[in-house]
Amino acid sequence: MNASLLNPFTITHPTAVQTSLVSGASFARFDPSGKYVAAGRSDGSAAIWDLDTRAAIRWLEGHVKSVTSVDWSRNSRYVMTSSKDWNIIIWDLASPTDPPQRHATIRFDAPVVSASFHPRNSRIILALLGTGEAYIVDLRKDYRGRVELCEVPEEGDDDAQASRSRSLMTTARFDPSGKHVFIGTSSGSVLVFNTRTKTMVARHKISGTGVMKGFDFAKNGRRLVTNSSDRTIRQFNLPVYLPPNAEREYIEQELEPTHRFNDPINKTAWHAMSFSPDGEWLAGGAADPATHKIYIWDISNDGQFASALDGGREPLIDVHWHPLKSSIVSTTNQGNILIWHCPTPERWGAFAGGFEEVDENVVYEEREDEFDIVSGAWCLYESELALRKKRQEDEKVDIIGGILEDRDLGQAVHAHNGHNGLIGNCESDEDLEWADEEPDNDKKGWRMKIIMVDGDDGF
Amino acid sequence: MAISSLKFSPDGSLLASSAADKLVKLWDAYTGEIIKTFQGHSEGINDIAWSSDGEYLASASDDKNIILWSLEVNAAVKTLKGHTNFVFCVNYNPQSNLLVSGGYDETVRVWDVARGKSMKVLPAHSDPVTAVSFNHDGTLIVSCAMDGLIRIWDAESGQCLKTLVDDDNPICSHVKFSPNSRFVLAATQDSTLRLWNYQNSRCVKTYTGHTNRTYCLPACFSTTNGQFVVSGSEDAKVYIWDLQSRELLQVLEGHRDVILALATHPTRNIIASASMEKDLTIRLWLDESSIPT
Repeated sequence: MNASLLNPFTITHPTAVQTSLVSGASFARFDPSGKYVAAGRSDGSAAIWDLDTRAAIRWLEGHVKSVTSVDWSRNSRYVMTSSKDWNIIIWDLASPTDPPQRHATIRFDAPVVSASFHPRNSRIILALLGTGEAYIVDLRKDYRGRVELCEVPEEGDDDAQASRSRSLMTTARFDPSGKHVFIGTSSGSVLVFNTRTKTMVARHKISGTGVMKGFDFAKNGRRLVTNSSDRTIRQFNLPVYLPPNAEREYIEQELEPTHRFNDPINKTAWHAMSFSPDGEWLAGGAADPATHKIYIWDISNDGQFASALDGGREPLIDVHWHPLKSSIVSTTNQGNILIWHCPTPERWGAFAGGFEEVDENVVYEEREDEFDIVSGAWCLYESELALRKKRQEDEKVDIIGGILEDRDLGQAVHAHNGHNGLIGNCESDEDLEWADEEPDNDKKGWRMKIIMVDGDDGF
Repeated sequence: MAISSLKFSPDGSLLASSAADKLVKLWDAYTGEIIKTFQGHSEGINDIAWSSDGEYLASASDDKNIILWSLEVNAAVKTLKGHTNFVFCVNYNPQSNLLVSGGYDETVRVWDVARGKSMKVLPAHSDPVTAVSFNHDGTLIVSCAMDGLIRIWDAESGQCLKTLVDDDNPICSHVKFSPNSRFVLAATQDSTLRLWNYQNSRCVKTYTGHTNRTYCLPACFSTTNGQFVVSGSEDAKVYIWDLQSRELLQVLEGHRDVILALATHPTRNIIASASMEKDLTIRLWLDESSIPT
């Protein structure tokens, strides 16, 4: 709303630290509305921070070992934390108490490395265990159960299958539409599974990479960046995946990256990366042991390196870009959460009414009759002015419309991008319909209760 | 013992009123029965505001404090101290985690509701601040003061984004955003109401006919059954104009003193108005034809 008043130029990437929250956090994620940050800590608890008041408003205590990942449901009502204590806990933030009520607990038989919600339905969950297995857990009554996602062994390898150990799955993410699950393996391939049928629909070997460490998607789901142990971030344009068929055919294709991002000087590895909401910028958090560095690359400008943000001496652990605006959250190994923003210089001209700032001198050309006094009486001129003013004021004003656009702006951006990426194939909607069945209670417009706190709350 | 402010709760079931007798009273909006009285301020109260969930009321008083009342526990839960002079106006943001207030110390303060602490102090004006409020998504704050200026601030950074000033700068007594936050309605003590498009600093509508020369009279939009602008007046009448044509459509007579407080119901065609010493009544004006049977 106020973007037009603040800065007429498009907002680009953050440049400076706006604030630092002392939290003890290892991982941090913005919620989809961008108003809260969920921070997972190494003592097993998680905290929800309100960015308006810069205070922690909820404590999610339940795990006994450190939290390995946090995820938000699409309207920010549910938060899921996964932990080394073999559990995933889903918290309901609409509950009026602090700590909030646990909505569900899912137990596995190995430490959970990451867990994420399906983008359309928070009752479908993807979990990755430390043993290299990935599961889709469905909490809906009709589909209840957990299914392991298994890589289809390569053809012609049936004999060698037993001797060759299956490659471990090292990272797992839903794509933005939720139709597919992307899994990275220790042998450097990207496997694509259909969420509904749990069958593999593609295997992409990426040459030159070691172990896949992380993924991020551009919002429309057409582009993927991968982080791997060869310290390079690669960006790929994803092919269109056909819906799964009865023969369980899958694509076997090697993907060529469109861009490679790395640190040419120090060859530092990357901890995490995150796209900007419009997909034009990529932020990479460097695993530099001495300083806190975030590299920003300009995708729209052919992937050129744009800037390296320096966050001080505490090394970085995690990075996440704000879902709607030019802001980044990063965590340090001391547990501090840094919020980065694009600082706007104060426009002192705004304090005087009627002042407009211009960049260059504007030469004013007066009209021929601009300062003429209308011949005849002065009151004729006045009444003409009044008439002109009245006519201007007769124009209709709209005091109601336009609100939905603003509020749903974020949703509209996502939907627009999502639909651009979706195939216009009626069959593909089957996956979306399957996901929408038995929807969760995560509806827009739920409110987080403001809980009064006495005194100054530390953590 | 004038009644200074009236506000309907967000769901429309309750009406809250504040007065110079240091009390906040809650009434049933449909029957007019009194439900509760909150006591706690040591001086008269200037303004009240509801949180968006209808659970909390904030009241601003001449004792320089703002007290947050919880309807759930029926008691005061927080006292916000910080202003150095009378607090004149108060409002919640749509998320209700922030409160904005303005006072006779010429500053606008933004408060963290949960912890009861002042987060920002904006050096907003050079005269007492008469009205402050947030826009519909909580990103902007508008404030007006007796120096005649209307200023729009960025809620997150506290920077001033715009100043609206008319030629004469009459004392500005009330300002609020339109429901879609594209316009601000400003009441000034030259008996005029103006609707400003603050993006290009143009006044797009003017409403006259009432009297406003001395007191801070509130003005409201009424959008439940058509688009109207409603204002109180110092001649004891409530004026209703058509928003687009600026025509004075109706004058509600009944009060016997200056109308200091006005509120429009969020969903039904009900207007509540209240007045000063000579007439300590709160009147509810209904549109009979629109009441569901």
